[in-house]
Amino acid sequence: MSDVAIRVDQLVKTYRSSGSGVRAVDGVSFEVKRGAIFGLLGPNGAGKSTTLKILTTLVRPTSGHASVLGHDVVAHALEVRKRIVVVIQEHAAELFLSVRDNLITFARFHGMRDATIQDRADSVMEQFGLTAEAAKKAQDLSGGFRRRVQVAKVFMVDTPVVFLDEFSTGMDPILKRSVMDLLRKEAARGRTIVLTTQILSEAEELCDDILIIDKGRQVARGDLNALKLASDRVYEITLAFDRLPVGYETLVDSFQPLRVHVNSHTLHITIKDEEARILSLVTALAARGHLLRIEINGASLEDIFIDLTAKGATA
Amino acid sequence: MSTGVLMAIMAREGKIRVTNLMFIFWDLFYPLAYLLVFGVGINASLGFTTGDLNIDYNAFFLAGVLSMASFGIASNTSWSFFMDRDNGIFYEMLTYPMSRSQYLLGKVLFNVLVAVLQTAITILLAAALLGVPLRVAYWPLLALAMMIGTSGWFFFYAIFALRIRRNDAFNTVTSIFYFVFLFASSMFYPLEPLPFAFQAAAYANPITWQVDVIRYLTIGTGDPTLIAIESAAFLAFTAIAFGFAGHALRNQE
Repeated sequence: MSDVAIRVDQLVKTYRSSGSGVRAVDGVSFEVKRGAIFGLLGPNGAGKSTTLKILTTLVRPTSGHASVLGHDVVAHALEVRKRIVVVIQEHAAELFLSVRDNLITFARFHGMRDATIQDRADSVMEQFGLTAEAAKKAQDLSGGFRRRVQVAKVFMVDTPVVFLDEFSTGMDPILKRSVMDLLRKEAARGRTIVLTTQILSEAEELCDDILIIDKGRQVARGDLNALKLASDRVYEITLAFDRLPVGYETLVDSFQPLRVHVNSHTLHITIKDEEARILSLVTALAARGHLLRIEINGASLEDIFIDLTAKGATA
Repeated sequence: MSTGVLMAIMAREGKIRVTNLMFIFWDLFYPLAYLLVFGVGINASLGFTTGDLNIDYNAFFLAGVLSMASFGIASNTSWSFFMDRDNGIFYEMLTYPMSRSQYLLGKVLFNVLVAVLQTAITILLAAALLGVPLRVAYWPLLALAMMIGTSGWFFFYAIFALRIRRNDAFNTVTSIFYFVFLFASSMFYPLEPLPFAFQAAAYANPITWQVDVIRYLTIGTGDPTLIAIESAAFLAFTAIAFGFAGHALRNQE
């Protein structure tokens, strides 16, 4: 059995609109290992959702190939659908059905039997804080609760591959954290999880493999460490003073930082430069004030993302 | 073809429908209500009889209301594509483990059952209340005709519901269809006294084929050869509509 769950090769999707074509996905290739949590990142219109729609058989590619667990998404779409569960970007719920019936109806589509379905629904509703809402129709729930129901369905079935398109939209932070824990557990027991997100901290925390795309093209690929190498020489510096040094703005500006954020007496600087220059900046600032704390870190995923997509934009 | 998936779709449709009992009540008794109001009114005011059979308008119109009901159920069911799109569930369902054809068939199955139940209620109460004759031997064929009729019209409407993105545009299309299909047919009146052009248009209308077949099965009027041709034509219409609806569903992106 291959350890590759998803294989994408030179995938292209062109949408025709008023005579001209828009390439939403432009020659993307990647593989996702079984049991991985794979993040597909990119700015709005990067082609993440289109890629996901192709992988989930919702959209046919213009050219190229994609397969899920060895089944081609076009030629064997039904075989693919038997092996996946999808949380689409848009809110989706059976509005006229109760929360419980939403879960049960979904599980029936996936061939679950009535004997196990009720117990599973009970435990999933408890995990998602939906027990008190079990009998309420989805139309009577708030948007956040409807999203809960939508994501909860993922845990009603045991399909080997899970696709989540911006799953945390509308979720409160506590539930989001709990869902992230659940997703980690699912991956640990062998389920492959593919997610798109715009919330980079989410990807940073959750994904062990990340693909950044922009304008339909691959910009960078790898785990967080590999991406940090791809966007080398980006540093985050935090300097806490007892009071901000006089003239720090001019000094910092001369290093052409990517971002500067001042929080009370603390400077947060994101900068792309040689290590020696970074140290000289820190030394120069330290000489102008009473420094209480220094932190120099490699770039966060957000910095990498901005750096790489900016490169794409200027290329 | 997996019956499990078809049952799941059918159960879903059923659950959605039974959440609104008024809707179910209207679905089941709508043809009877039409017969009791419109049919009895025409019968009493115009004293209608047809051919040598000397049957009244209520008996004549029974096939019309049954066909109208299956046409209406089909139109309502196809409209549910819009509801599913609005709820977002439509695109999620397209990722469920079923083929597009199964989705279409499953969606109509529950409504076919409603149509058959509705037919049973209508013909029994029409016999009891209006004295319309019963041809019990033809009931299995009548049930089959209602199943095929409802499916055919659902697939036909689904082509438009899947291609048209705007609810108001679809409503306009269905209103036009109601007018053209229902009135340019043998649903409300016999075609023989009508001008040739009207007759030609009516015989090209699948509603006429359906009404004539159901009328033959309920009260025994019509030429058996013509009925056989009309049955075959309606089956072909259903198969073609299914093909086009499947194509439209496969092209949903």
